[in-house]
Amino acid sequence: MRILLAEDDPMIGASVRRGLTQDGFTVDWVEDGRAAEAALAEGVHDAVVLDLGLPRKSGLEVLSAMRRRHDARPVLILTARDAVADRVAGLDAGADDYVVKPFDLGELAARLRALLRRGAGRAEPVVTYGNIAFNTATREVRVDGEAVQLSARELALLEAMLARPGAILSRSQLEDKLYGWSDPVESNAVEVHIHALRRKLGADVIRNVRGVGWMLARRDSAAA
Amino acid sequence: MNSIRYRLLVWLLMGAALAVAGAAIGTYLRARDEANALFDYQLKQMAASLTDAPFAAVAPGSSALGAADALVVQIWDRNGVQLFMSQPRRVLPQHAQLGFTTVATEHGEWRVFSTLAEDQVVQVAQPMSARRELAASMALRTIVPLLAALPFLALFAWFTIARGLSPLNRVADAVARRSPVALEPLSEAGLPSEVRPLVHALNGLLERLDQALVAQRSFIADAAHELRTPLTAVHLQAQLAERATTDADRSAALTELKGGLERATRLSEQLLALAREEPGVSDRVAVVIDLGTTARTVVADLAPLAAAKGIDLGLNETQGVQIRGDADAIATLVSNLVDNAVRYTPSGGRVDVVVTPKDGAATIEVRDNGPGISLEDRERVFDRFYRGAAAHVPAAAVGSGLGLAIVRRIADRHDATVTLGPGLGDKGLGVTVRFAQPSP
Repeated sequence: MRILLAEDDPMIGASVRRGLTQDGFTVDWVEDGRAAEAALAEGVHDAVVLDLGLPRKSGLEVLSAMRRRHDARPVLILTARDAVADRVAGLDAGADDYVVKPFDLGELAARLRALLRRGAGRAEPVVTYGNIAFNTATREVRVDGEAVQLSARELALLEAMLARPGAILSRSQLEDKLYGWSDPVESNAVEVHIHALRRKLGADVIRNVRGVGWMLARRDSAAA
Repeated sequence: MNSIRYRLLVWLLMGAALAVAGAAIGTYLRARDEANALFDYQLKQMAASLTDAPFAAVAPGSSALGAADALVVQIWDRNGVQLFMSQPRRVLPQHAQLGFTTVATEHGEWRVFSTLAEDQVVQVAQPMSARRELAASMALRTIVPLLAALPFLALFAWFTIARGLSPLNRVADAVARRSPVALEPLSEAGLPSEVRPLVHALNGLLERLDQALVAQRSFIADAAHELRTPLTAVHLQAQLAERATTDADRSAALTELKGGLERATRLSEQLLALAREEPGVSDRVAVVIDLGTTARTVVADLAPLAAAKGIDLGLNETQGVQIRGDADAIATLVSNLVDNAVRYTPSGGRVDVVVTPKDGAATIEVRDNGPGISLEDRERVFDRFYRGAAAHVPAAAVGSGLGLAIVRRIADRHDATVTLGPGLGDKGLGVTVRFAQPSP
């Protein structure tokens, strides 16, 4: 899942990016409101972590503008403990959740997962598709109940495809989910990761539609 | 006892006592005059009555005369032969002077009236002491009631003074009941004109205190708010260090944590520096400071930091530029300017410190070729906790947002002006501090 992080303090921003990356998110970090708007316009992010005290354009303005554009992506705001009025204003302006500084990185990641889950219309953390079960919280993948070890990129790829099962995703769409701005995009990387996924999950799990992209193919559990 | 009530009472009673004494003396003098007139008249009457009556009828030792024991009557015939002497024991001079005379005898002063009737000289005498006693007793009768009234007067004065001073007590109570944060003015309505100036002055002080308190509160609120950001960063960095699974990750996380701690430490130091510069806090003595020496020390202190960032830091000094001021504060000022320049100038940049006696005024300039400060930001950078928005600085360079606020505070205290201008070669920032006092 690709997250847009808008935070003006360099140390806090760097730490949050590092923490969320460790939790399996792909993170893009901007340091002011206008940069956040520009990043949102790309439409590649699944959720936004927004500090309200951004320079050049406040977080609240960015949020209001987003909701006016009917951009419904989940937004989590970072606020100060005593800034209740800010928090209320943020929630009223369309924020989905908040964490209070200083916050716990694990909690931030969990709240983001919850927002993304609810956004996808699910109540439980485990996404299942056919015989594949992906636990978004523990980032554990089971095929027919057997745990499978996947790399971070492979997990991100699988997560992106599970988010839209049955849909064909192009190479650039997959690359958007896989790489943040600061990550170098390796050529043929998507093919390499797909190959690895097929090897670990089963060859017919991912179907290739030549010239268009890839889709997840439903294969029911062998036990069922 | 240093009490207005006590002092007023003492003075009032002393005044009253003087008045009573004056009244007593006055009464005595008047009574004596009156007694003189009265007794003289009496003497005259007696002499007349003695000359009217046939003398022979008056028997020696007769007490027909009023106050006979006090009066002495002598009668001589024309030849000087004493015909009558009422009290032989008393010896009066053989007086021939007619009319009133006052005679000193061994028995005190006597008032003597002599008159010539037909062929006899009649002399009536009376001791003056009788008159004085009468006058004294009249004076005493006058002042006894006054003396008796004195304690009542004192009591009355005691309570009246207390009543008169009650507005002062009310003001004192009103001040004493105040909580330390209730600084609204005391009511001046209904106060006597003697107390109003005091309350007015007190209200002036309360107002100034209130302003100082508001300033302090906003400073503390700002400080708490500003400390939160670096502490949040430290909190997050510590979590990353905790999570790290490999040695490389852990050491990277710890390096960042150290950076975060340095930032928090620096901020708290800067807050202290700013608090020291609060108006009214500093009462350090002004000494003669050599600006060049101060600048050299600061540049030497910051040279390692500049070298680590690959910044060319240098000093260009005119010898003997001196000012008067607080040496610690001036060192803080210069250090903040140079530190800011080194912090915000990207690596490979250049920072020049120049000390000159420009136009007769001691001047220190710090110029860099860093990102500079936009025109619209130039006034705001002096506000507490303001950091330029446009300048993109790496995490390690994050300042406290207090540096220039401290510089301005110190400059204001030294009658110096701080101006922001272009830096080196139309790039970056140049900060100029001009000390108004001519360099000696």
